[in-house]
Amino acid sequence: MEEQDILHYVKAAAPALGLALDAQRAAAVAQHFGRTLALARLLEQAPLAPEHEPAEIYRAAAFPGMEAQP
Amino acid sequence: MNSATLLRAIASGERSAREICDEALARIEASDGAVNAFTAVTAQRARAEADAVDARRARGETLPPLAGLPYAVKNLFDIEGLTTLAGSRINQELPAAHEDAVLVQRLRAAGAVLVGALNMDEYAYGFTTENTHYGATRNPHDSARIAGGSSGGSGAAVAARQVPLTLGSDTNGSIRVPASLCGTWGLKPTFGRLSRRGSYPFVHSLDHLGPLADSVHSLALAYDAMQGPDPLDPGCQALRVQAAAPALQQGMAGLRIGVLGGYFHEHASAPARAAVQHAARTLGARGEVLWPDAALARAAAFIVTASEGGSLHLQDLRQRPQDFEPLSVDRFIAGLLQPADWYLRAQRFRRVYRDQVNALFQDWDLLLAPATPVSAPKIGSEWIEINGSRHPCRPAMGLLTQPISFAGCPVVAAPLWPEGTGGMPIGVQLIAAPWNEALCLRAARMLEEAGTARMEP
Repeated sequence: MEEQDILHYVKAAAPALGLALDAQRAAAVAQHFGRTLALARLLEQAPLAPEHEPAEIYRAAAFPGMEAQP
Repeated sequence: MNSATLLRAIASGERSAREICDEALARIEASDGAVNAFTAVTAQRARAEADAVDARRARGETLPPLAGLPYAVKNLFDIEGLTTLAGSRINQELPAAHEDAVLVQRLRAAGAVLVGALNMDEYAYGFTTENTHYGATRNPHDSARIAGGSSGGSGAAVAARQVPLTLGSDTNGSIRVPASLCGTWGLKPTFGRLSRRGSYPFVHSLDHLGPLADSVHSLALAYDAMQGPDPLDPGCQALRVQAAAPALQQGMAGLRIGVLGGYFHEHASAPARAAVQHAARTLGARGEVLWPDAALARAAAFIVTASEGGSLHLQDLRQRPQDFEPLSVDRFIAGLLQPADWYLRAQRFRRVYRDQVNALFQDWDLLLAPATPVSAPKIGSEWIEINGSRHPCRPAMGLLTQPISFAGCPVVAAPLWPEGTGGMPIGVQLIAAPWNEALCLRAARMLEEAGTARMEP
C-alpha cells in the first residue's frame, strides 16, 4: 500500500466515525497508520486456524462453584 | 533512610508517622520544581492519615504492615475529593472522585499515608511523560532526560526520594519503563491479579496496576496489601491472596533461570545487555532462551492498544481533538481507523501466544531481559539508535516490555547501573509464569542483597 493510498484510506474512513480531519492532521494520522500497517502485515504471518478464538474477556457469569472467595 | 528502615522506625516508636509524613511533604516541596513528578499534593489528608497511625500506636494496637509509609499514585487512580486527570486537560472538567480506587483503599487499610497524585502521559498513551499540559517529568538523575512513562511521575518520585512507594499502571511497559530509566524497583503483576476498579482505563484488554518502590521488601509488602479478589471488577481474576513477602528470603537454589536471546538481544544496547549479564551471574542463570514470537506479540499489542485506546476517546476526538496531547492525538485517531481484521487477528493470536509462552515455563522458572533498549534519552528526542538501527524514540522504549505484558506474565524491574550510560540506570526484567510474582520478588531480593541491583542516592 503506497503512502498516497494510506492517505486516501484515512480521508475516506474518518467520516464514517464522525471524525473531521484537516489536511495536516490527515497526513499525521496517515503516517501513524502506515507504521501500524507494517505491524499488521507482520502479524499476518502468524498461522491461525479457524478454531483459534480471540483471547477471552466476556463471560456470561461465573461458573457455578468458581465465585470469588473472601 | 529507605522504606524498610522507615517502617521499622515507625513500628518501634522511634519515629512518629507524622514526622515521616512532614519530612516527605518537605522533600516534595523542595524538589518538585526540578522533577515535576506531582500534579497534586494531599497534605491535609496525609497528615490526618499519619496522625491516625500514631493514635493507633498510642492505644497499643498492632500496626498494619505499611503503617506510616508515605506514598503517591499516578493521577489515573481515583482519590476521594480530587478529579482523576489521567494526564489530560479534558478530564479537568469531570467531577471529583467520590471514593478512592480499590488499591488506594487497600493501601490505606495497610497504614500507608497518601501524599499526592503523580504526572503521566495523557491517558497513559506514551513511554516518556512529556506531558504538554502539565510539563515533562524530569529524570532525577539527569534533569535533561526523560523519566520514562507512562508512569513517569511514579518512577521519578521514588528515584528523587520524594516518597518511598508509588503506584503506576502498565499496559505495555508503563511501570517497567520508568522504573528502568529512573533506577527504581517496579512490579507489573500478572494480568488480572490486582483490582483495577477506580482507575481510569487505557486498554481494557491489557491494563495492569502495580507498585514502584525503593526496596524489594516494600515492593512486596505493598503488593501483598493490594491483593484480594474483587467481584465488582470484571478484569480481576485472582480468587485469593498469595502472599509474596514471607518468601522473599528463600533464594533461588535449584531454580532454572535463563536469559532471553533473539529479539531481546537484538533490540538491546550494549549497556542493556551488560546489565542482564550482571544479573544473570548473580542469579546463576544457565542458558539462553528464545521467547516465542516476540516481534509478532509486540505488533499485536500495538494494534490492540491503538484500537481500544482510540475507541475509548472517540467522542472527544470528534468534538475537541485540539484539547488532546499533541504527541498522541494522531495515534489515537489512527487507532480508530484500523480495520476490524487487524484487531481480531491480534486477539486471536494472543490466545495462541499465551499457550506458547506458558509452555516455555515448563522448562524455565525465571527469565531475564532488559526492561528498555537504552538508558534515558534526552527530553524531546525523536529518534534513538539501537545497534546501528534507527528507531522512533517514544514507541521504542516499549520494545522489550510489550511482548511480556501481552502474555500477562508477572515481572519485577530491577535497577542496575551498567557502564557506558553516563551514570544512568537500566532495568532488568525478572519474568516468571503467570501467578508467580513471588518468584520474581525472590530473585529481586537476591539481586538487592548482592548489591547487583540497587537504588542510587
